[in-house]
Amino acid sequence: MAKTDDILRELRAMLPEDAVTVDDDYRTGAAFAARVPLDLLRDAAERCSALGFYLETITGLDFQDTFELVYHFNVYEPKSRIALRVLCGHDETPPTVRDILRAAEWFEREVHEFFGIRFADNPDLRRLLLPEDADYYPLRKTFGVVNAYRKREEIYA
Amino acid sequence: MPKKFLDPVVDQIYTLNLGPQHPSTHGVLRVLLDLDGEFIVRADPVIGYGHRGHEKMGENRLYKQFLPNTSRMDYLSGLLYNHGFVLAVEKLAGIEVPPRAQYIRVICSELNRISSHLLWFGTYVMDLGGFTPFLYAFDDREQVLDTLDHVTGSRLTYSYCRFGGVIQDIDSEFIGMARAFVSRLRSRWKDYHNLVTRNIIFIKRTKGVGVITPELARQYGVTGPNLRACGIPFDVRKMEPYEVYDRFDFEIPVGSSGDAYDRYMVRIEEMEQSCRIIEQALDQLPKGPFLAEKVPHRIKPPKGEVYFAFESARGLTAYYLVSDGSQYPYRCHIRVPSLGNLHVIEDVFRNTLVADAISILGSIDLVIPEIDR
Amino acid sequence: MEIKRRIEPPEPVIRFALLDDVLNLARANSLWPMTFGLACCAIEMMAAGASRFDLDRFGSGVFRPSPRQSDLMIVAGTISRKMGPAIQMLWDQMPNPKWCIAMGNCAISGGPFEYEGQYAIVPGAHLIIPVDITIPGCPPRPEALIQGILALQDKITKGEKRNIIRRFHRMEGKN
Repeated sequence: MAKTDDILRELRAMLPEDAVTVDDDYRTGAAFAARVPLDLLRDAAERCSALGFYLETITGLDFQDTFELVYHFNVYEPKSRIALRVLCGHDETPPTVRDILRAAEWFEREVHEFFGIRFADNPDLRRLLLPEDADYYPLRKTFGVVNAYRKREEIYA
Repeated sequence: MPKKFLDPVVDQIYTLNLGPQHPSTHGVLRVLLDLDGEFIVRADPVIGYGHRGHEKMGENRLYKQFLPNTSRMDYLSGLLYNHGFVLAVEKLAGIEVPPRAQYIRVICSELNRISSHLLWFGTYVMDLGGFTPFLYAFDDREQVLDTLDHVTGSRLTYSYCRFGGVIQDIDSEFIGMARAFVSRLRSRWKDYHNLVTRNIIFIKRTKGVGVITPELARQYGVTGPNLRACGIPFDVRKMEPYEVYDRFDFEIPVGSSGDAYDRYMVRIEEMEQSCRIIEQALDQLPKGPFLAEKVPHRIKPPKGEVYFAFESARGLTAYYLVSDGSQYPYRCHIRVPSLGNLHVIEDVFRNTLVADAISILGSIDLVIPEIDR
Repeated sequence: MEIKRRIEPPEPVIRFALLDDVLNLARANSLWPMTFGLACCAIEMMAAGASRFDLDRFGSGVFRPSPRQSDLMIVAGTISRKMGPAIQMLWDQMPNPKWCIAMGNCAISGGPFEYEGQYAIVPGAHLIIPVDITIPGCPPRPEALIQGILALQDKITKGEKRNIIRRFHRMEGKN
């Protein structure tokens, strides 16, 4: 609880006004979700790591108009998970955070091989789960059998 | 550099391939080891030999149809994963669960946790070379499997939980079998401690081996008994209580040094705490319905997302579901504990012997198909 | 060009039927499986080797990790595309005579993971190696694995009807 309040304060100072949505009853599993632009991602991750957070997972989401990366950080206190959401276009390269938290190495490899998102300054983007010579990106909504390919505001309006 | 007793003929780093088919039954894991003599200089795990495309399947399956997938990711805690998935969807869709169903799910989940730890115990000591505890552990485990088989219908991969409860009620025979198992397991601790815990060979092979420091655990996202062995009392059942876990009185065993021996002791203690939870749950079991009414067959949760974390046998597991209002999920991402637990060996394997590496791999308790999803 | 996966030894000039029968009996009753658990079915295979459903009484209790020392490969679990070439290499490394059991739905036909858009698995072990016995189930109970091994023993000793030693009755049907 205490560390989450600290990081909330720091992120509120760093980000624009409406970027942080607080979830009071912990409904979505995260105490708050912060929309972080690409160039402030490394700063935010460094502040989280300095306060003792660990990186739980990086999830990729494929929408018609954009990709989205969701970074979930957690700390060893009750109900303290936070989410950093990064929007990145289909051709943009988000920065890597592998030197801040080592867990990001494998998460970024996985996001790259399933979505095709390249991370800047990450020389090691080998295939993690797929065969080494795979040339397809399975979790994109343009691959295989897909039920719906939506724009972001259809879900997160 | 490690001390060399004989002058080597050729001074070179030798690359050895550990796996993907090897007798330590964790699944299909391949580790590329760079060896300097018998010491490991670099370790590079290669995974993906069990990739089955669960996340893509999640987007092509109704919520109910994804239940068999959940059990097959980490097949040793199949009921725990089932339980977590239905809890996530219930949170997303706002379904109320009757109290009897909550208690039943907790009892079955804790039985599953015990069976997973028993199998880990048997295979770990078998990896170290002792075959007898494997047979004892599997014998105890068969009793748990019979108990769960009685009510769910299958031994290993269950689909027992449904959105809003369970498919079948438990009867007095199940309660009797569960109580009999708990008392039998408690009488076995003496045997296990005499055979394994006080065994000088076991102590020498596990004390001081594979130390994971708290900072290393934080960097790699290690959770579960591995993290608790480092001294950090982080258990999702206490930190973010779900179901009825906040009504039970149980402790979280914590180690001190983060070596393989502490990880072993933490898991043995966890089995005892699970027995306590099962007893208390059986005492407090209320009467009532076991399945919520008026839950639609093809559930259509409202638009939004949920990230639900629970404590599986290996650590913090989480389902991240994004719903677009239709009957298929838009994104179904699963955070598995074994990914961080495996990643840490890149650091822990440095300057250890190959035989110690097998001991470390066994003590971390990996299930590779859950990493590969 | 088709690579022949199963190389039959050349027919000997003189055949002793009794010797063949004795050799087949010896082979059938000492099948040494290779530990090839890929996924969930591996746990049931281990349970079949443990003390309750003892496989050792049928001669198959010695699980050899090395393919060079085993003569039965039990493919237990889903075969992913990355693992397929490794399975073929292991099969080639096994010396003759060798047999293969496909255990579980995934090894027979892809199991619960086979659907129209599946990109990651090989739907069935028979696509890459020749399979002798299939054991359905998800996962099959250890008793089912034991029945599969007994069926393989019957197949090796060449005759479903010549089960005098084992004395259990199987339903009449096609072989």
